Amino acid sequence: MKVKGYYGKLLDINLTTGEIKKTEIPAQDIKHFIGGRGLGTKILWDKLPKAGIDPLSPDNALLFMPGPFSGLPIPSSSRTCVVTKSPRTSAVNPKHEHGSTVSYSNMGGFFGPEIKFAGYDGICITGKAEKPVYIKIMDDKVEICDATKFWGMGTDEFDKVFVDELGNRKYESCYIGPAGENLVPMASILNTAARAAGRGGVGCVMGSKNLKAVAVKGTQMPNLGDHKGYLDLLKKIRTSFKVNHEGVERWRYGGTADALESSSKSGTQAVKNYSEGTFAEIEKIGTEANRKEVWKRDFACFSCHLACKKSGLAKGAYGVMVHDGPEYETGTMMGANLMISNLSGLHKLIVVGDDYGIDIISAGNTIGFLMEAYEKKLIDKDFLDGIDLTWGNVDAALEMLHKMSKREGVGEIACHGVKYLAQKIGKDAHKFAIHVKGHELAAWNVPVHSDRWSIIYATSNRGACHMNGGSPERQDQTALRDSIAACSFASSWYRDEVSYAKFMSAITGIEWTEDEFNKAGTRIFTLEKMFNYREGFERNDDALPPKFFENKFTYGEHKGAIVDKNDFHNNLTNYYKAREWDVKTSKPKEETLKDLNLEFTI
Amino acid sequence: MSDRNKEYTRRHFLQDIAFGGGGLIVLGTLGFRIIKDKEHQLIKAISVDFEKCAGCRTCETACSAFNHKEIIDGELVSGLGNPYYSNIKVYHYNPDVDIPSTCAICPDAPCIDACPVAPDITTGRKALYRDPENMTIKNDVERCIGCAQCAEACANLRGGIIHPNPETNKPERMCTLCNGDPQCVKHCPFDALAYIEMPEDRDLDSLSPEVIAEKLIKKYYEINVDYES
Repeated sequence: MKVKGYYGKLLDINLTTGEIKKTEIPAQDIKHFIGGRGLGTKILWDKLPKAGIDPLSPDNALLFMPGPFSGLPIPSSSRTCVVTKSPRTSAVNPKHEHGSTVSYSNMGGFFGPEIKFAGYDGICITGKAEKPVYIKIMDDKVEICDATKFWGMGTDEFDKVFVDELGNRKYESCYIGPAGENLVPMASILNTAARAAGRGGVGCVMGSKNLKAVAVKGTQMPNLGDHKGYLDLLKKIRTSFKVNHEGVERWRYGGTADALESSSKSGTQAVKNYSEGTFAEIEKIGTEANRKEVWKRDFACFSCHLACKKSGLAKGAYGVMVHDGPEYETGTMMGANLMISNLSGLHKLIVVGDDYGIDIISAGNTIGFLMEAYEKKLIDKDFLDGIDLTWGNVDAALEMLHKMSKREGVGEIACHGVKYLAQKIGKDAHKFAIHVKGHELAAWNVPVHSDRWSIIYATSNRGACHMNGGSPERQDQTALRDSIAACSFASSWYRDEVSYAKFMSAITGIEWTEDEFNKAGTRIFTLEKMFNYREGFERNDDALPPKFFENKFTYGEHKGAIVDKNDFHNNLTNYYKAREWDVKTSKPKEETLKDLNLEFTI
Repeated sequence: MSDRNKEYTRRHFLQDIAFGGGGLIVLGTLGFRIIKDKEHQLIKAISVDFEKCAGCRTCETACSAFNHKEIIDGELVSGLGNPYYSNIKVYHYNPDVDIPSTCAICPDAPCIDACPVAPDITTGRKALYRDPENMTIKNDVERCIGCAQCAEACANLRGGIIHPNPETNKPERMCTLCNGDPQCVKHCPFDALAYIEMPEDRDLDSLSPEVIAEKLIKKYYEINVDYES
């Protein structure tokens, strides 16, 4: 029987054969894995029957997954999760040539809700088109169209001209830029020219399928299990956003950029390739500076009250129209981490990165790594094609960004990220290559609150991820939000009588207790873990870069902060125990898997 | 109102909505005098403050949910609100502006003028007519012939709100005002919409989202775009 609130339908497209199918999603899978990241991972597991499949081969599946909340005007529930096998990650001791982790990357905007409106619980792309194509979906009508004339186009230009191609401004679309086309491993997928599924190389997988864009529009909604119960909850949650408005105002004013200054003060910012936790010049790129000089408009995702996206106009030497930024992540990775405090220069870097469709977190991390290698004279100007890649140098960072996105010269190596670069450079370069499993760390530094941050990064299933959560409970909560399509930024409004589980009950008409809901989170996280374990990832892959055990902060309130290696290993052991995973191998125990209905992974 | 004033209004209205400084900015107007139609009745309609709209489309979902109800357990209740069925539409543009666009309930109603159906002898109504209760534009689907001339008139002369139904070709998306409690206004998280008495001197010639987008993009990003060509 169908689960209410879902269609039980996956749009399954093979770009090699051109076959378009609407396949049934088993009700059991929906109940167990919910949607978004969870259901996407289950479908990926089924599509990839064995370990070691090349993520850039036609066999890999690329999934665009809304969740059960998608399309309903439940505030801040518009995320779309892109799930695939990662082209970014690799094990310390590879067991398979192409062994890599699961990848899940989610974006706000309007794309996921529109998938739901078109009558699908997800879109799965396999195969590889012969020439560049885009997919156009209007309810049941699905077309694979020629995209040759768009190949090579930046995301900003494409976003503009694609509207004319579609002939209707009300389609929602997502797309790759030249980075994805060029198979830059750290390529992203964007919608609305700014909102990005940035992490985990999802844009590279899309490029490997010769798929420039997906556009969708629809007229449907599935029946809910308890329609009136849902309307009652909707009324309550809307009231909650009105009553608890202080937080709403804060998001609107500063977006995530508000964290630039607070994190710097707290010593938790990635500064100078993670050598420091505080950036002395942070005010120059913080909220107030942007409010004063750049931001003009606040934008919200579908049915969101927070409007954390900021658009504007950066003036000065690097003047540019700004779609979104800086956020905390982009502002830190292209700003503090590179010691860049030139505001328009920072904006230019973000805009150029988005236009190429490259993961700005990984790109900023990689450029920071190269700056440190250059400073330490492990590489010279010749290695860098003549670029004087010094700290704070906007022009040099821009030049690197161009080269990485185009895979030109040094960019051909650098676009693979810091793990690969460190192997090429040799010597001690691996010590300050800031990644886990090959995926670069994000903008939160580790040493201050290291108990939490070391677990967050080391145990993330997609490789280093700042959204992962520092304990099993928090990780499961994140996995759930990513599965129902809710935005983490709004989670504090969803408590007690308006909890996510209560919405799930109303949508499906099936009673979801908090315990059952949380268990689904554990199940989803554990399935990802089993995917990775099958691919050859074990305890020694849940590691931190050596720099964190060797480098002390030299200034700021947390001068001297460093991570204690023994503490980290003890914390990791305790984490596995709490998860009921084997402390030596990190493999989930058989009883644990059975209890989570994951027998099929054994 | 003198001709000179009228001319000023026409020429500068868009500039003024764009530079209104966050005050009450009305879809197609800047004054605050109240207009009355031929029968001297008040027109209340939805106004948009473009400074405040963040493009979240909550208005679309609220409109769709209210105006497309569902019967659940024998009771007529709000629908789920797929924006496709909404009368108000929010259009995204790049560079980033969002333009909510909805029926202006024009006092002269070129849509009704364009309707070729002969007036009913007793009511005097064409197929498309004005509801004397709240001044909204309504369509008598029994008498409508689906020629879509109303939609054409709206597109050519006003905001292009009216859309012919894809199957019947009969006009849709005229604002209903939701029984006097417009849901788009009620649920807008950004207070960008208001339900107000329409001023006398509003400019009904510049309601197209394209024209408004061009002006706002120029204002915010100092970029000239031309969506109409």
